[in-house]
Amino acid sequence: MKARILFLAIVMLTFLLPGAVMAQQFFDYFGMTLLPDTVGDSLVMYAEVRDPAPATTPLPLDFDNYEYTMVITDLELVTDGFPEVYANGTIAIYEDNGTSADYAATGTFTDGTALLVGNVSMEIYHLSHVIPTNTTGNGTGTVDWIGGTNLNDFAPGDQVGWTFVVGTNSGSGLLEPGYDEVWDGKVEPVGVIVGTDRVTWDELKSWMK
Amino acid sequence: MTSETIQEDNVVTKLFMKTLVLAAFLVALFALPAFAQIHSVDYVGYGWDSGVPGKALGDEFHFVGIADYVDPVFGVDLGTEELTFHVFGLLVVSEVDLGGTLMVTYSGGYMEIYQDGAMNADWGINPPNLTAPGTFSDGSLFFSGEFTDMTLFHFPGGGGNFEGNLNGIAGTMIDGSCTGCVYTWGGTFSTDAGAQIPEGYSLQVDGVLEIDAAVSTDEASWGSVKALYNN
Repeated sequence: MKARILFLAIVMLTFLLPGAVMAQQFFDYFGMTLLPDTVGDSLVMYAEVRDPAPATTPLPLDFDNYEYTMVITDLELVTDGFPEVYANGTIAIYEDNGTSADYAATGTFTDGTALLVGNVSMEIYHLSHVIPTNTTGNGTGTVDWIGGTNLNDFAPGDQVGWTFVVGTNSGSGLLEPGYDEVWDGKVEPVGVIVGTDRVTWDELKSWMK
Repeated sequence: MTSETIQEDNVVTKLFMKTLVLAAFLVALFALPAFAQIHSVDYVGYGWDSGVPGKALGDEFHFVGIADYVDPVFGVDLGTEELTFHVFGLLVVSEVDLGGTLMVTYSGGYMEIYQDGAMNADWGINPPNLTAPGTFSDGSLFFSGEFTDMTLFHFPGGGGNFEGNLNGIAGTMIDGSCTGCVYTWGGTFSTDAGAQIPEGYSLQVDGVLEIDAAVSTDEASWGSVKALYNN
């Protein structure tokens, strides 16, 4: 009987926890992209990560004292069409307080500490395939974090399967010289990531008594 | 002084004035690129439909969001105050299937942006609710705009994107009104695309507002510009 009550209590806790931490979590970015000319070539993105308060970032970031940048490299165009399929890319989030991000000097995006490094793949729908005059598009994809100084801040199960989303625009008035598209989007875990507290089994049982 | 000398003086004076006006015009011409800049506000948030999401004519699209970047030219410190978005009144007037891509066209609609130090924006769940749109429409009016067009595209897989143009009606951002001066675009994402969405909302929205910097300048006739140099 006691074991059954304990089991029920744990089940209840499991269902209650998500409701207590329903804050939205994501890395919001805004940046510039160079598109590949042909299948086999790669896409590159340089972006700034912005403070999304009252939503939070999956890692605690200090926007008052540091600049955060997101960079995608080697994202290969595998299939051209509607959608375009991209794979085998590398994504990284950097922290630095030395140089300001400057789209004319891409090294300013890759300096500092690589907090997270991962693999990225995605599909992009460019509306120009359907409406030739349209300059906008949309991409969705997946990120698996595999490195970086803060990788282990996430439990192993929380390191993979993140969502990458982006709105694209080649006709934006914000397009920097030399780039093909403006990208505005997010990288976010599928579920909210919570901090963990280690307790012994006895402690857990004592809470239920 | 002879009449010929006076005439020569007049010719020289006219030539000088024409040169001056031409120089002023050239100065104005080279100054224009500064005024042709685009200022931006980057925003994120969540939307919902009053009816079945994006499926029925007459449905109204709502959106509440926050800015996570604002051009420094507007003098807003997002560390101590928030800019919150409330979009409402966008009614679905047509839907066209473009070979699997659904194009939804809206009519009407307003975008309001509020500036306040309460920092109380809260999406909550199942909108409209006690905090949404209420905490996104409190404070002082930073911008009010009327959509002249708005189109949203839904792609297979849960992603989408939108773009629309607005006339500015009021607010401190534009200090008056302006026509065709604001353009907004961005992405929309459903849970099918893997996006986090609070319960009761149908779409995550991540967008950019592009403001024609010329809205902050004073309009003047060519005559009044010349008059400036005649004094």
